[in-house]
Parts: sequence; structure tokens; C-alpha cells
Amino acid sequence: MALEKDVFAELVAIVGQANIDDSDAMTDVYAYNWCMEVVNKMEGKEPLPYSPRPLAVVLPASTEEVVGIVKTCNQHGLTFKAQSTGLGPWNNPSTENCIIVDLRRMNKIIAIDEESMLAVVEPYVSGAQLQVELMSRGLNCHMPGAGPQVSPLASATSMSGPGFTSPSTGHSARNVLGVEWVLPDGQVLKLGAAGLEHEPDWYSGDGPGPSLRGIMRGLHGAKSGLGIFTKVGIKLFPFPCDVNWNVTGLSPDYQFEKPDLMKWYIVDCKTYKRAKAFVQRVEEHEVAFMCSVLSNFGLSAIFANSIEKLLGNTVLAMTKVPVVILIAGRTKREFEYKVKVMTSILDEHGLENMAGTKFEPPSISYAEALRSNLGLHGFIATGAFQSSHGIMDTLGVCFKATKQNIPVKMKYINSEQIANDFGEAVWSTSFEHGHMFHAEMLTLYDQTNPDSVTGVADYFNDCNQMDLLQHLGIPFFIDGDERHDWYGPSCSNYNAWLRQIKEALDPACTADAGFYISPRNSKKQVKDKEV
Amino acid sequence: MTSEEYARMVKRCLRCSICKWIPQVQIKNAKHATICPSMDYYNFHAYSGGGKLILANSIETGRIPLSETVRDIVYKCTACGGCSVSCKHLNTLEPLEVIQLLREKLVASGVGPMPRQQEYIDAIKRTGNPYDEPASQRMNWLPDDVKTHDDADIAYFVGCTSSYRRKEIAIATARVLNAAGTRFKLFGSNESCCGSPVLRAGDVESFKELVGRNIDMFTASGVKKIIASCAGCYDMFKVEYPRFEKMPVDIVSASEYFNELIDGGKLVFKDQEPITVTYHDPCHLGRGAEPYIDWDGDVVQMLPMVSLNVPEKPKRCGAGGVYEAPRRVITRLPGVQLVEMDRIKEYSYCCGAGGGVKSAFPDFALHTGQTRITEAESTGATCIVSACPFCSSNLQDAITESKSQLQYKDIAELIYDSIDPSMSGQNNE
Repeated sequence: MALEKDVFAELVAIVGQANIDDSDAMTDVYAYNWCMEVVNKMEGKEPLPYSPRPLAVVLPASTEEVVGIVKTCNQHGLTFKAQSTGLGPWNNPSTENCIIVDLRRMNKIIAIDEESMLAVVEPYVSGAQLQVELMSRGLNCHMPGAGPQVSPLASATSMSGPGFTSPSTGHSARNVLGVEWVLPDGQVLKLGAAGLEHEPDWYSGDGPGPSLRGIMRGLHGAKSGLGIFTKVGIKLFPFPCDVNWNVTGLSPDYQFEKPDLMKWYIVDCKTYKRAKAFVQRVEEHEVAFMCSVLSNFGLSAIFANSIEKLLGNTVLAMTKVPVVILIAGRTKREFEYKVKVMTSILDEHGLENMAGTKFEPPSISYAEALRSNLGLHGFIATGAFQSSHGIMDTLGVCFKATKQNIPVKMKYINSEQIANDFGEAVWSTSFEHGHMFHAEMLTLYDQTNPDSVTGVADYFNDCNQMDLLQHLGIPFFIDGDERHDWYGPSCSNYNAWLRQIKEALDPACTADAGFYISPRNSKKQVKDKEV
Repeated sequence: MTSEEYARMVKRCLRCSICKWIPQVQIKNAKHATICPSMDYYNFHAYSGGGKLILANSIETGRIPLSETVRDIVYKCTACGGCSVSCKHLNTLEPLEVIQLLREKLVASGVGPMPRQQEYIDAIKRTGNPYDEPASQRMNWLPDDVKTHDDADIAYFVGCTSSYRRKEIAIATARVLNAAGTRFKLFGSNESCCGSPVLRAGDVESFKELVGRNIDMFTASGVKKIIASCAGCYDMFKVEYPRFEKMPVDIVSASEYFNELIDGGKLVFKDQEPITVTYHDPCHLGRGAEPYIDWDGDVVQMLPMVSLNVPEKPKRCGAGGVYEAPRRVITRLPGVQLVEMDRIKEYSYCCGAGGGVKSAFPDFALHTGQTRITEAESTGATCIVSACPFCSSNLQDAITESKSQLQYKDIAELIYDSIDPSMSGQNNE
């Protein structure tokens, strides 16, 4: 398919000639994404890393231009898919008549309100960019596990959002405040305080009446299925330690001048039961800047920058159900208190800290933890990984899922379709010191090998079945019509309610519903199925 | 990279966008967080290092043909290699090598290079320089006061840009060498292009001819060491030539050589008015100048899908570039204070001129240069110093276009201005 000339001309009039491209070369690049091959396989298609090719890519620079693009799509029966930093298949079109709205040119930090501890950002501000501007004010922001290079706006409005620092910086769903939202029909809705007629502000995303913020994203986000978010207010947190930042050396072997008041704890808990009790106590005392349960493989990865170093971390590789904790303080007294608490909890559980005794964490690991750069270490071993499950529940459910997942995963490990982590790979963290817990099971595979991709896809389907049949919390990757309609009847028929939200806001399904849900009798959806 | 490695590598982009930013732990300022000039100017993802890996995959798998559209995307890139440094901080992909191979494929298929680039390649074949200037005028930069020695075993390779366009760099370099008493020779009108613009445009066959011709000239000259004041020439002789033929001589950058001269007490400086400068790392003296290290190990499969290089395969992340020598030189000049920009060394931001961009896409080159000048201004320095005539041209164009008050100096000029007058012409026997 090609974009009709008159539509192209309309879009040029909105964004300018330099900011639209409908060439095959350009649009094919936007059809590619990480894990798209797994999604395709799960949907019964060839395991290629490409979605349907968009008709064009447009780069708006303002909310007004976004509105213009959305209205043009409505007028011409096109769908749109918005993306900020664009990592993951949920940024890709699901239909053949879609245009990509790449929000890269909307890249301003609009405001930092130190007193209210909030920042207002546009879509293409990265987490690291925001953090460095906050640090000079003694503040910090939450960044998702995907890393500091991704968009806080996208995470806050549209896509899940657990991160390594979640114990102290929460979850993206709980950090979102006021929002500027271009609805699928082109209307601009300002949520909460941003919509006030007099002295609008960003301190709250909710106002009188039912929570539109909940409708906007819920727990996992609509992934552009309900419109385009152009500004967001997000909650900030105190920076956990001294803000001096001095990285020396040359890549890949950087060193970091570690702030005095920071300390790693690497604790080999040996059993899930012990780990659960230990983590619960740590979270009760609210001392952890970061607290993650990992597998020994994952633990080795976050302290390595190459496969050789990963496999060389033999002390870490010998652990069983390791927990890694980072504590930090802004004052000596605060830090000493946290150390005392940790010492007490370790003694209480008969555990010891391996960091500084059996293993010396590289200095750069402190910087990577502060900058939430640890998730990217997951790619070191095979070049590709994706998570299954994505449990959001209590710590007990997270551990239950972790254990029950092992035999399911071993089936695919034994068939040599996925890498052997003994079935134990997990990343689990709390939000807000135990308000809620999250667990996702990391799976290492080879994206260039169709058999490996097939194994991952089959394994993920098995994981979804597990979540449903064994009550393993709210999973990450239930999205799109097929999976929502499969899961919904077993869960209060939520899919029918979700569909009503979509129908109310987007009856014509102009916002691509591939990773959300489509309205009943959507012509665009039928068209996609015919394709 | 073998064709098998290429075919496998282009399937492995994670689309994480790390290639668009400097290494995450090095970000100090939201304004100076990006690494890719092409993305900063053109914005579409295809212009990133990762985007070009995907583009290569689309071509390799027959989804799109090599076309003028592909050509324009691939050549709107300064080939600065910043994407590769950022990607390889944790990953093992080689975006810059893929970009280079894409260019070579475009040339081999008759689609590349860009017309302006073909013009300068033709000029090099005609006259030995990309400016199409007569070879007989190559030595016109040489002032009467500079003394050279035909029997010296050190040669100063001036390069095309310093010979014809940025003569002040050649003059200052030669005068510093004279002041230090270094006996050196010039190749004169026999000197011809090192081939950097030819290789970067993807014309590898023409490049090979230049490699052969220059190596023959070096061998015939009997010199043991060549000093290069051009980062592009240095990169060619140090990194690229050895991939094709054995280099018969040692190669040293002017910055490194000046640093040795100061270490050896061969240069005496005068007291001077305080000046604050910032240093711009040229891509081809910095991250690009890291030599390839032969690796002849084994890939051992440890577990299904997890393999290990035994012994460990060196990662070419830019750490082997020339970073300390120019900084040691600058900080030892009386009255000169060095203040660093946010993007330096292996994650330095490109000046915008390289990869054939200055000739084919001058607007893009100028924009990138202006971005760098703005960053330099933010340090409070009054002068930006670098060590590459091509950076010099583009950054000075950017200074003019931006109406900036910054001064530009090559490191040779900065040194020459600092030399005690009693030393000037010391070697003028």
C-alpha cells in the first residue's frame, strides 16, 4: 500500500516536507523491532522481526501538529501509531493502513517544580536527560527497567513501568500526574490539574469524577491504542546520595567515583522461602534504594559488561536465589542507620553480605544502578532476551510464579530452543517498599534462529496459560484482541469493559489497537484480518 | 567482517536506541546527551546506527532494493563511529562497520557514492587531491623560513586539506618541528591523498590503489617515521592501511609527537596572557584511531546459545584513540587553561565534516558544526582547539555562521604561538 498523494500533501502541510517520509526504505526500518519476531510467531505468522510496514512516518514538533495528524487520519480512514523512543513491538503498526507518529522532535523538559517535586516533559526526553537536570536540584526520577535511554513520558502514560529503583521510585503507573492527551478523534484532553481553567498545573492527574488516569493507562498502558500523549507531569523523588558524578576511564571499562554513602549488599539466600522473608523485612524498613531478586545468571550479568566477564563472575554464579540491594544516604546518620538495619536483618536471617568480602562490585555498578542502566545487561549473554509473565502482585505470588515457572521453562531449555539458566532467571522487585511486587522471568534466546524464536513463542504462550490457570497475578503481556478475549472471560470479563472504553473514545479505531483492544465491528480491524 | 558475520549481525539490532546517545553513564547535561549528528539533524530512526543495521537487514533479506533513497540515508552520516562506541559499551554489534559495508555495496552496485563524492574521487585520481588543485602547487604552503632535510628519516605528511585549504596548520606544524630541532622531510609534490575520503565514500577499489601507491612512496623514501597533522591521514595510516598492506613505517600523530618533544625538553615556552581553551577530539584521531587487533581465537559454545571467545576478543570501543597526548600538550603551555566539553574522548561529538558529508550535504555539516560550537561555548572557553584540518574547516565555518566569538586554533598553532621567540628557527641551519 502507498499513502495517497493528497493525504501526503496534507501531512506535509502539517509537519513540513522534511518531517515526513513514505519511502519503502524508511518505512521498512519502522516496521522492525526487538521481539517482533516472537509476537509474529505467537500470532501464527512467520517469525520475522517486522510488523506490517507503515504507510509513512511523520515527525510532529508540537501538540498542534499531533492534532492535525490525528484529524487527517480520521478524515482518510487511516490508523496511527505513536512512538517516543520506540523500543519494543508495541511501537509497531498492526494494520497495513497505519502511519507512525514518531514524537522525536518533541523533546523538551518543560518544567521542573522542585517545591512540588514534579517535572513536566515531552515524549522524547530520555530518562537520563531528565535525571541529570534533576540531580543538580537534589532530585531523581523513576526510570523503567528498559533503561535510561527510553522515554519517561511513554512509560508514565502508555507502558507498564517497573524499574530497578522501584522500591524507592515507585512504578510508572503511580508516578503519572497531569497529562496532555490527544484523543483518537483529535480533541485535546488535559487530565487533572493540567485541565484547570484558572492557573492550570501538573500536580495531579485526577480531578472530580472517575479516574480518567486509570482509563488512560490502567496498570499496563494502552500502547498508543487510545491516542497520543504530548506532555506529562511526573512525580519526583529525592536523589538518594551525593549528586557528584565523576565517571573516569574509557569505554567499556569505566570507573565511577562512588559516593561515600552507598553500599551494595549481595546476599545468597539459598532458598525462596528465606529470600521471601529477607526481602519482606528489608522492605518493611524502607531502607533500600534498589532491592531485586535475581537468578545467579542475572546477578552475574549486572556486574559484567561482556559475556567473558559474566561467565568469569564465578562466585556469583554459585549463588542460589540471590538478592541484591543498594542502600544510599544523603547524610552520614541516614546511611549509618540503614547499614545498622541491614546488619540487623542479615543477622536475624543468618545471612551474610558477599559484596566487599567474597565479591567486589565494580565501581561503575554504582553509577549504573543510580542511572537505572542495569536492565540492558540482560542482552550480554545471547544478544536477545524477553521476559515472560510480568507478575504484579504480592511477593508470595511472585515467588510462587518463579518456582512454578521452572519446569515449564525447562521443557524449552531441554529442547535447546532457549538458553539454559536452569529455568531460574527472574527479576523481582517491590514498588514503594512493598506496596506491590513484580516478577518477570527473563528468557535468553537467539533472535536470528527461527527454531529458537518458535521455542520462545511457545514458552510465552505456556506462561500466559499458567498465569490464567494458576492465578499468578496480573501478567505483562496480555494485549491485543486475541489475548484479551481469551483472558477476559476468566477475569470478570474485563475485556468487554476495556472494549467499551475503546469504543467510547475511538469508535472508528483510528488509534492502532494492535497492542490494546479494538472496538466491535471495527472496519479497520476486519481489514487487518483480511490482509 | 566476513559476509556471514555481516548477515548475522544485521539481524541483531535491539532497536534500543542506545546508539543515539553517548554512553548512558557519561551523560552530564540534557543538551549534550546525544552522539549521532545524523539523528540530530534528520531525526528519522533510519539515520541512526541501529536504523542502518535494520536497513542493511531489509536489503540483505530482499525486502527493499539498493536505491537512491537507501543511498541518501546511508551517506547522510559522518561515519563518526559514535554509534559504535555507545552500542559496544554492553553489546557486540558494529554499526559503523555495517555503514561502511553498506556504502561499499552501494558503490559496487553503481548506486553510490553521492555525485559530489564521485567528483572528488575523480579529482583525486586526476590530481592527487580532492580539491582538484594542481599537484605542482601542493608545496605552495611552505614558507621560506621553514627548513627541511631531504636525508631525514622522519617525514611530515601534510595531507591535502592542510596543503591547499588550511595552510596555517602545515606552516605551524613545520615551524614547531623546526623550533624543536626535528630533522624532517616533506614528500613534496609526490605526496598525494591518503585515501580517507575515497574509503569513507565506499570506493574500496580506488582506495586500494591509493594504499599501494602511498606505501610504495613511503618505502622508496627510506623514512622510518611519518608525522601526520591530519586526523584523517593518521587514521588511514594507523588503522586502515594495515588492513590491506603492511605499513613500512611508524606513524605518529602531530599531537603525540609534540607531546614527546615537550617531554624531552625540546620546546621552551614563553609566558603569555592567560587563555581558556577547550579541546575537540577529532573522530579519526580519537575513537576511530583505535587500531584493529588481530584475533585468532576460538568461539567456544559454553551452553546452547551462549558462546565465548577464547581468548577474549578485544572490543574496539575507542579506548585506543589519541586522547592524552593533546591534553598533556595543552595543559603544559604557560597561561593555557583547558576546560572540557561534556562530550569528549571516545564519546566526543563529531564536528560534522566527515564521511563525505561536507561535500555532499553541506547544510547538515554546518548544523553539526554549530552544535559543537555551542557546546564549546558553554564551557566558557574563548578558543576551541583541535588537531584536524577537516574539523578546522567545518568548525570555523560554524563559528562564522553562528557569529560566535570563539577563536579556533589547531594544536600546532597553539603551540607555535606559545614558543619562546628565541627558539623559533633554532634548526634553521
